[in-house]
Amino acid sequence: MANKDVLDRVIKVTARVLNLDPGEIRPEHSFSFDLGAESVQSVELIAAFEEEFGIEMDEDAALAVERVGAAADFIGKQL
Amino acid sequence: MERTYALQDTPEPALIEDIFPYALPPLIKFAGTWVEDIDGRKIVFDPAARINDDIHVTDTTFRDGQQARPPYTVAQQVKLYQMLSKLGGPQGVIRQTEFFLYTKNDRETLEKCRELGLKYPEITGWIRAVKGDFRLVKEAGLKESGMLTSSSDYHIFYKQKQTRQQAFDQYVEVVEAALETGVRPRCHLEDVTRADWKGFVFPFVQKLARLSEQVPDHLKVKVRLCDTMGFGLGWPNVAAPRSIAKLCWYMINECGIPPARLEWHGHNDFHRVHINGATAWLYGCNALNATLLGYGERTGNPPLEAALLEYIALKGDLCGIETQMITEIAAYMQSIGLPVPDNYPFVGKHFNTTRAGIHAGGLRRNERIYNIMDTTALLNRPPRVAITDKTGTDGIAIWVNDFLGVKGTPDEVKLTQIVKIQKWVMDQYNVHGRMSTITDEELEQQVKTHLPDLYAQHRMAASR
Repeated sequence: MANKDVLDRVIKVTARVLNLDPGEIRPEHSFSFDLGAESVQSVELIAAFEEEFGIEMDEDAALAVERVGAAADFIGKQL
Repeated sequence: MERTYALQDTPEPALIEDIFPYALPPLIKFAGTWVEDIDGRKIVFDPAARINDDIHVTDTTFRDGQQARPPYTVAQQVKLYQMLSKLGGPQGVIRQTEFFLYTKNDRETLEKCRELGLKYPEITGWIRAVKGDFRLVKEAGLKESGMLTSSSDYHIFYKQKQTRQQAFDQYVEVVEAALETGVRPRCHLEDVTRADWKGFVFPFVQKLARLSEQVPDHLKVKVRLCDTMGFGLGWPNVAAPRSIAKLCWYMINECGIPPARLEWHGHNDFHRVHINGATAWLYGCNALNATLLGYGERTGNPPLEAALLEYIALKGDLCGIETQMITEIAAYMQSIGLPVPDNYPFVGKHFNTTRAGIHAGGLRRNERIYNIMDTTALLNRPPRVAITDKTGTDGIAIWVNDFLGVKGTPDEVKLTQIVKIQKWVMDQYNVHGRMSTITDEELEQQVKTHLPDLYAQHRMAASR
């Protein structure tokens, strides 16, 4: 389960990159199906997460993460 | 279901490298024989056995190839002849090439090529079925010449205005004259896939075989099977006169012409030209007549470069063929005004270029996913991506890494580093309504802008 702070920051970054209201984003949301992220935006999200958390992620593994909550878990493990 | 197949999960991928070695074109292997119904008999062909025979390529770039364009200059022909020699290698996979002998330009070219002293391809001539023309062959000092011996009634009746007997007698007379002169005749059975085999072709070829019995080996008549209109079919059990299998079998087994003196010459009117040529190899023609880039009368002839790659795929070895010359020759031919479509196999600008994002993604992970063979080593043509709105970040990453020469190095550019370039590309299409591919120059500018350190380190350093 993701740390609340990590999840909040993931939602904040996602909202900024995808130009959405943070209040509309829930952990179970899929980046592509529910939030409408296109291919290039998926990569943009990874870049933004790396900047936000000061980490470097394996791109293929990160691109395989589909949901907001799972992304927070994925990032949490690297902090 | 007669049998069920259980999934075999495996920790390692099965790449089937005995057929797809990557360092060579995909290999052609056979798992059995072919059976052809001929005159009520079941005739068995063993294609695997043919691979060990002396199959080879002959070239007609300067004869049939030249019938498809304005004449080459002497210098151009000499240059191409040298390149052909290098391409075919020291084992003579490109065994012969034929020249016209009629004009001053023809004879000067022949002389200059001979002066080079190259062993392969051996130079032969091409003349009409006219007795006096063998004088030209002899004067040119050639040991062999092709001669036109049209075989269908379309040609005999409508073009030559002859009866079959008149054509037969004329051809035999010229063949006898050639043998007397000491020149090996190569009879080009024009339009043989539209001819009456048993009523004209076989009697004529049997006569050639009988004449050949009376002369030494180096003069024995060769037979070129000319699929002039591209009517030939390679499937088993096709009816005469379109069957390549039956034609080869009759020539060898009933007309007395062994594979070593049998050649296939095709045309591409129905898009069958390359595979028909390769099929003729397997049914018994040792020689496959071809032209560089397939340029020839109308729709062209078997592309010589494809024949060579097929040869490698059959033999499982390069056999001395310098495959990178294919790229060099294509560039030269384009420089002298022979257009090559972008999607033309092996040499077209985009033959191994992908535009689809999903393919580019595969290429980025492992180039073997979407590249047919090691085109970098074999053809000096690394797989490429062309950038459009369909290419995606993977495609741009491949382009940038190729451009900077950093693939596989610690500086290899990640997807996250090219997001801004990708956004610029997408804006070109979504915002500015662009319809064309992004050019290399535009992308270079983007790399300079968004990855200035890498650009300075790898591009500016390379140019210094």
